[in-house]
Amino acid sequence: MIRRLLKPLASLRLTVVLFALSMFLIFAGTLAQVRDGVWTVVDQYFRSPFVLIDLQLFVPEKIAKIPGAILFPGGFTLGIALLINLIAAHAVRFKLRWKRMGIIITHLGVIFLLVGEFVTGLAAQEGKMTIIEGQSANYTEDIRTAELAIVDPSGSDDDLVVVVPQHLLTHPGSTIQDGLLPFKIHINEWMPNSQILGPNQTPPERKNLANAGLASSLAAIPIPKATGVDGQSVDVPAAYISLTHQDKPLGTYLVSVHLQQPQTVIFDGQAYQIELRFKRTYKPYTIHLIDFKHDLFTGTNKARNYSSQIRLVDEAKNVDREVLIYMNHPLRYAGETFYQQSFLRGDTGTILQVVKNPGWLIPYISCIMITIGMLWHFGLRLAPTLRRKSS
Amino acid sequence: MNTLQRALPWIAALLAVVYVGIRFASQDIDSSVYHLQQLRAVPVSGEGRTKPLDTVARNSLMVLSGKQSARTSSKNLSAIEWYMELITKPNEAVNRRVIRIDHPDVLALLGLNEEKRTRFSFDELRPNLNEISRQAMLADQTKPKARDPFQRSVLTLYQRLFRFSELSQLQKPFTVAPLTSSDDWRSLYAVLKEDRTDPDAQAILRVFEAYSNDDPAAFNANLDGYLGQINRVLPGEAKKARYEVVFNRVQPFYVAAVIYVAAFLTGCFGLLLSQLKDSEWGQTLRRSMLALILVAFVVQTIGIVARIYLQGRPPVTNLYSSAVFIGWVCVMLGVFADRQMKLGLAGILAAAIGFGSLIIAHNLGSSGDTMEMMQAVLDSNFWLATHVIVVSIGYSATFFAGFLAIAYIILGVFTQMIDKDRAKSLSKMIYGVICFATLMSFVGTVLGGIWADQSWGRFWGWDPKENGAALIVLMNLLILHARWGGMIRDRGVAVLAVLGNIITVWSWFGTNMLGVGLHSYGFTQSAVFWLALFILSQLIIIAIGLIPTRLWRSRDGMAKLTRTAGA
Repeated sequence: MIRRLLKPLASLRLTVVLFALSMFLIFAGTLAQVRDGVWTVVDQYFRSPFVLIDLQLFVPEKIAKIPGAILFPGGFTLGIALLINLIAAHAVRFKLRWKRMGIIITHLGVIFLLVGEFVTGLAAQEGKMTIIEGQSANYTEDIRTAELAIVDPSGSDDDLVVVVPQHLLTHPGSTIQDGLLPFKIHINEWMPNSQILGPNQTPPERKNLANAGLASSLAAIPIPKATGVDGQSVDVPAAYISLTHQDKPLGTYLVSVHLQQPQTVIFDGQAYQIELRFKRTYKPYTIHLIDFKHDLFTGTNKARNYSSQIRLVDEAKNVDREVLIYMNHPLRYAGETFYQQSFLRGDTGTILQVVKNPGWLIPYISCIMITIGMLWHFGLRLAPTLRRKSS
Repeated sequence: MNTLQRALPWIAALLAVVYVGIRFASQDIDSSVYHLQQLRAVPVSGEGRTKPLDTVARNSLMVLSGKQSARTSSKNLSAIEWYMELITKPNEAVNRRVIRIDHPDVLALLGLNEEKRTRFSFDELRPNLNEISRQAMLADQTKPKARDPFQRSVLTLYQRLFRFSELSQLQKPFTVAPLTSSDDWRSLYAVLKEDRTDPDAQAILRVFEAYSNDDPAAFNANLDGYLGQINRVLPGEAKKARYEVVFNRVQPFYVAAVIYVAAFLTGCFGLLLSQLKDSEWGQTLRRSMLALILVAFVVQTIGIVARIYLQGRPPVTNLYSSAVFIGWVCVMLGVFADRQMKLGLAGILAAAIGFGSLIIAHNLGSSGDTMEMMQAVLDSNFWLATHVIVVSIGYSATFFAGFLAIAYIILGVFTQMIDKDRAKSLSKMIYGVICFATLMSFVGTVLGGIWADQSWGRFWGWDPKENGAALIVLMNLLILHARWGGMIRDRGVAVLAVLGNIITVWSWFGTNMLGVGLHSYGFTQSAVFWLALFILSQLIIIAIGLIPTRLWRSRDGMAKLTRTAGA
């Protein structure tokens, strides 16, 4: 009974169709990176059940404007379908025989690989740790998400920080209130990517949208989100928000990650700080940057090497040691890996990529399995042919 | 088989070896007055690596003019002579027509469109320098992708002029060796500006000055002294520079390409003879072709090994070397396949691919030094030696299967050559190569993922180049599974293998043209045209392959085979 049910799922025709669909998806997902950022594409195409593929992708806009889009299964759907197809095939068709071992090992490796990508998609966390030379950092930033931090610095030992996550900030017209917040926050405008303009650059209709805070003389305008073609550029969000306390207006503020410093809000004799910043994750350890080095090839601007000499301090675990992090030589610590990623202008500090991926070992294992499996399988088939030819 | 038939392959190989020997032994410049041959081997530092002056001269002239020599009214200047003239006799050098301008609108802008040529001297451009830099500034303000051909051409011209002046003022390359007064290479221009008495600068300056003063005796003496000092202080660099000069002169890839052409013609002739029912002579020529390919292959191997030694890197470091390497692997596969099939077809393909890949490499290499330094993130010999090599072999095998499939389709449709035996062995070979391609491209791609995990913490980033590699793997898997499932047979495998060519070439070059992602390195515009042309040709072949087998001229062989293939 189960066999009969599984049989259509195990069909090789289905495998081939799924391969073809995957190829088309990957092709479209590559072309889409000309227009959108790689992370947008990954989320839309490869880690979603379905995707709307614009037909315009396949024809340059210079040649013809083509409206419309097709609904297509996303990477998530295709991955699961391939997984089911493969498992069903083994349940129905494959018998455990020596001759078949190669294929079975290979397919097990493939299952591992697919599962690994799911684990990565669901569980991997990436952040950036920016450290200025001679200073320390104990948090990472997620440069794909922002948050609004409201700080009450009045405590004697600690600041009280309340953080509003990005998904609450993106709906203009909505109001955020919470017992933890000293005031209500009304979202006037949200800009996923923005540019800050000085008083003389601002067009009249964008003037005076903010009336309080450090940035009230400045203005922000929305700009298109960065695409993969723009290289390493990052979306820098901004927002106009109005604050009220017991229906008394406290002013309209321009907040943006661009500003890189908090603004002060004073009412009832108390000062609060507000700041739109990249989402922070605090760590139980501290990294101190002793020295950042950026070596060039003689007579060129081409980097030979970047390296960060750091001191890793984790008091709870009695760790206090120096580490050199450089290209292709990351530091692995506490389930996280620290990579040399970039640096601050003028080589004044380092930017480390901090990745936590519980599934990082899976591809290594599956690579070994697939190699062995394929060598076994093809080797068994090739050997008789070669022997026949040579005799 | 008579004596001549037995001897012919040996004679062919011997002729090819003699040709290589002549290339190796012949001197291309007159070194009797000025010891130019020795001068060529003077090490300097440019684009981050130590290299001989000869390489600087050749590459610079190549970048400026697209050729490795400069013609004057009376004679042909070799690259090193041109370079010495440029740095020591500027008044003459500015009259050499070495700056190439292609775009008609740029020529019109400079009032040079009446001249029926594309190379101009610095003096001819001098009145328009301001306009050129104004146009270049305008073009520079446009995003690279949005620039039109005129803007690109103007920028190229500006860069050529910039390079010309940098070279002539000795700002680059760095010619002052770290002998006594410094521990790194320095620019002669910068050192002389600060301290005319710097001993290291004086050492090389004496050589240049003697040339400037038309004093061969002083030149040769100073050069000998300088090279002696270099040999003592920098023996490793000096030795490598001498080898590189030989490499430049012999041009092993050019030599190999010539022999591949000879092999190709021999093979084609042999195939023709065996069609005319003279199979003995056909086989003789096939063996002669294999002998020629073998010589060319050895020469190409020597070239690749020489580059590994000079660069201190595994063979594939950029697009140029990937073309050389992929061609090399295809030739190896071709020789192996031909020895299995004994048809001559695979050998002919091997020769054609060997030649074609070297031509592609030559065109990719014309933009400067092909042994440039690696980006810091790619600086890992271990991963260059594993991931890049394995994935390149995967590309090669996919290509080779595709080219075998082209032979199958074209010869099958238009000739009666593909009889039963040939059809069988060809499709077996295509299938076998696809199996090998699957293994290599898969393992290579996963190794790339592991490298990515090691260097930036992401096994798979859906970067265009990664996606291209994944497409190749999926294409091969699709062919194999479709065949195992009985959905396609020999003809279907062949048609899909040609589709594999499109995917491989797109992944190899096309993804670079998107200008996205960590893997995208520079690319020339004209390549887009050739890529489109290649894809179009493959689509036509696919269409031909889809013609029903009963209309193929080789249908007799096919028909029998198709009936038995499912079993």
